[in-house]
Amino acid sequence: MDNPSIAFVLFGLAAALVSNFSRSHVWRSMVLFGASIVFLGLLAHNPMALLPLIGFLLLGYGGLILIERGWSRAFVISLLAVMLAYIWLKKYTFLPEAVFLHAPYFTLGLSYIFFRVLHLLIEMRDDREKKHVGLGAYLLYTLNFTTLVSGPIQRYDEFARDQFAVEPIVLGIRTIGLQLERIIRGFFKVNVLALLLQAIQVDALAQLLHPYAPLWLKIYAAFKLAVVYPLFVYAIFSGYIDIVIALARLMRVRLPENFDRPFSATSFIDFWNRWHITLSTWLKTYVYNPLLVALMRRITSLALQPFLGVFCFFATFFLIGVWHGRTSEFVFYGVLQGAGMSVNKLWQLGLARALGRKGYKALASNPVYDALGRGMTFSWFAFTLFWFWADWKQIEKISMSIGVMRWLGVWLAIWLSATVVLAAWEWLRALLLSIETSEGPVLTSRYALVVYASALGLAAFVMTILLNQPAPDVVYKAF
Amino acid sequence: MNPSDAGDPGYAQETKLPWRDWLLLPALSLATICLLVVSTDLIERRMFPSFDGSGEDCIVFNDPSTGARGIPNSVCREKIPEGEVAEYRFNSCGHRTDEQCGTKPPGTYRIVMIGTSYAMGMRVANEKTVAALLPLELSQTTGRNVEIYNEGMPWRPPHVIALHFNEVLAAKPDMILWILNPSDVWNPMISPHPPEAPQARRASWVPSPFHKAWQFVRAEALLHSVFLIRHFMYESQSLLVTSYLAEKPGVLLEQKYHSPEFMRTEPSAEWQDHLRDLDSDAANIEAQARVAGVPVVAVLLPERAPAAILSMDTWPAGFDPYKLDNELRTMIESHGGIYVDILPDFRNTPNAEQVFFPIEGHPNVAGHALIAKFLARKLTSGVVPALKADSQQGVAAEQSR
Repeated sequence: MDNPSIAFVLFGLAAALVSNFSRSHVWRSMVLFGASIVFLGLLAHNPMALLPLIGFLLLGYGGLILIERGWSRAFVISLLAVMLAYIWLKKYTFLPEAVFLHAPYFTLGLSYIFFRVLHLLIEMRDDREKKHVGLGAYLLYTLNFTTLVSGPIQRYDEFARDQFAVEPIVLGIRTIGLQLERIIRGFFKVNVLALLLQAIQVDALAQLLHPYAPLWLKIYAAFKLAVVYPLFVYAIFSGYIDIVIALARLMRVRLPENFDRPFSATSFIDFWNRWHITLSTWLKTYVYNPLLVALMRRITSLALQPFLGVFCFFATFFLIGVWHGRTSEFVFYGVLQGAGMSVNKLWQLGLARALGRKGYKALASNPVYDALGRGMTFSWFAFTLFWFWADWKQIEKISMSIGVMRWLGVWLAIWLSATVVLAAWEWLRALLLSIETSEGPVLTSRYALVVYASALGLAAFVMTILLNQPAPDVVYKAF
Repeated sequence: MNPSDAGDPGYAQETKLPWRDWLLLPALSLATICLLVVSTDLIERRMFPSFDGSGEDCIVFNDPSTGARGIPNSVCREKIPEGEVAEYRFNSCGHRTDEQCGTKPPGTYRIVMIGTSYAMGMRVANEKTVAALLPLELSQTTGRNVEIYNEGMPWRPPHVIALHFNEVLAAKPDMILWILNPSDVWNPMISPHPPEAPQARRASWVPSPFHKAWQFVRAEALLHSVFLIRHFMYESQSLLVTSYLAEKPGVLLEQKYHSPEFMRTEPSAEWQDHLRDLDSDAANIEAQARVAGVPVVAVLLPERAPAAILSMDTWPAGFDPYKLDNELRTMIESHGGIYVDILPDFRNTPNAEQVFFPIEGHPNVAGHALIAKFLARKLTSGVVPALKADSQQGVAAEQSR
């Protein structure tokens, strides 16, 4: 049930069906709450394992109440308390082992609950009208089963707008059809595409590390290993998101999009506007913007101000890395993300200075420059992901397998290949979307959607029902 | 924006679906599915042609007095979807060998090979089997005239071999090479078309028409499409291993024989019983060979998925691919036999699973060549004094390759 399996989809569809028995927001909230509690129970098995999570939620709610009541220090104290509790429950390795709880407990989805609780605390402090958030609404928002395991991270006001609307959003046959198509598409991505991509990655790793594999096979395996993992993460994570967004929509709640064709990004900054959008938006809202404003207030030098953004990018995206895991590999992953963002910003500043605004704009709209940027973005992200899935020992083995110089050659090959392949993909996509009728592009018409939903559904059926292949785990549920 | 969201009306009124679409859209869906099934079916038939008839047509399976045996002087041809055309020629004693029954040419070192389908060279042409390739390797390395008389026969498990061991000795062997396989431990002696498994019978609570339709989809409509998908999917080492280790033991009889049970560090009581039976069969075989003064050399050959696990050199907790290998060594040596271990050679082979047919599972042509090479290296290393490599001949043989 913690994976977008058939059981998960059927559970979600059943909840959506029952939820639509009445349009009353009270009924819909009761159904969502009941489904979320059942979902938690199915995942946790032992109710005692949920106690730390319950404690964490109560801590957050306590802070919310104190801020609402206007206690001046409540915000800082509750913010710190929630952050420390999170670090403690997630067992970050810089804390001594002795302080951790040693009985097994449930942490699935804790990272996403953490972001929602922090969001509520900050918004409660900033919102002058201080709208009351009741315990029921708080639990419904934080434990919503459609966003529990791996997001997306929805804002409370957006959630409340749809969930508590007296007149719910429309759910007609067209919308139902679109959501069913999206569920099938997501199911295919997770259970077929991600499965095959993961297999290529695991096979490539075995070939790369095999002591008797010929060099040409190792170099080919190195290429596959680096290229396939970002595609795998995209397939499994965006597939999961497709399913939960569609299920939530069937329950008359609109969840925010989390992906926007990330491999079409022409720069690393652009990439993070398209990849795990709700996470990067959250961090930009609550880390980047306040940090930049605070620094600009302190450092007034006009010459230095552009570089403050560079620093803030580094700090924000370094935190993204650290959030992903508890070990030094994730710290380094954060350094690489931060470095990618800040170097990208520096490059933009440098070019704008060298070419002038007009010259830079002209260059940035050049298709060859865009294609090279797309290839560079993909190859950089692909290489940073080694610190996302491997530990230092594995990374050492991987780098020694063909030597650092050959790895540089592989990286260059990936850059050039990604440049050509992604440019071809963009061209093809634009071409196909240009075939239009009066209702819009043929490719996105309901007829086309039915055709490929049927094809993807058949493939998923063969893979999961007839071949009984277990889907890989959703990578982001571990965070 | 995602195409799916483009049409989301939110709070606005949703436009009605035209009436024609209530028929058109389901018809479009059905047509897509039919088109895909038919096209993959046609592609499979074109890519993997096979013809009726099988090597098994030349074998009598259900004769309890003799066990499975080849029909004397028969010839059969087959082409399985993944393989080449293979001809099976059985001599006057019903063995798949070109050597004449009962006679041994003078000055020849004869190895009689026993075992089941792996030994017989199932699905591979005579001249490309281990039985054909190994003597060439051994003759080149030792400088002796070595020949193999192949008595391997599918569904002729160890207890049947032990029972009819006089047939083995009648071929006047200088050495007996016993090819073992994890499935031999189950000592299976059934027809290649097992009766309906209990699991399948249990499904009969499902309403009959639905059940029949489901059986049709599984067994007929999607047969070729599923074969095509499985063939390419199981070319992946990790997918093969994952699905192999996920198998539930005892679901179907044939699945049980090829299940990972033999790798479990805590095997079932049933498996342990079968292992004890094999031990007594091995004692019986080796006692009879000892009386005849013929050394018995046993070797375990892996199946496809275990070969992949060996090659990857990593496996999950609760499994050990070398477990049966170690148990067989102890068993064979305790009865005075010789055991050669070629599993480490599979570990040293990248993508070792590629030398087996992806779906059918037996070693393919490359597999037989590889096994012959591994066996030649082991047999001439000194474990069998009569086959110890002549250093000068060996060097010459190596140079000639």
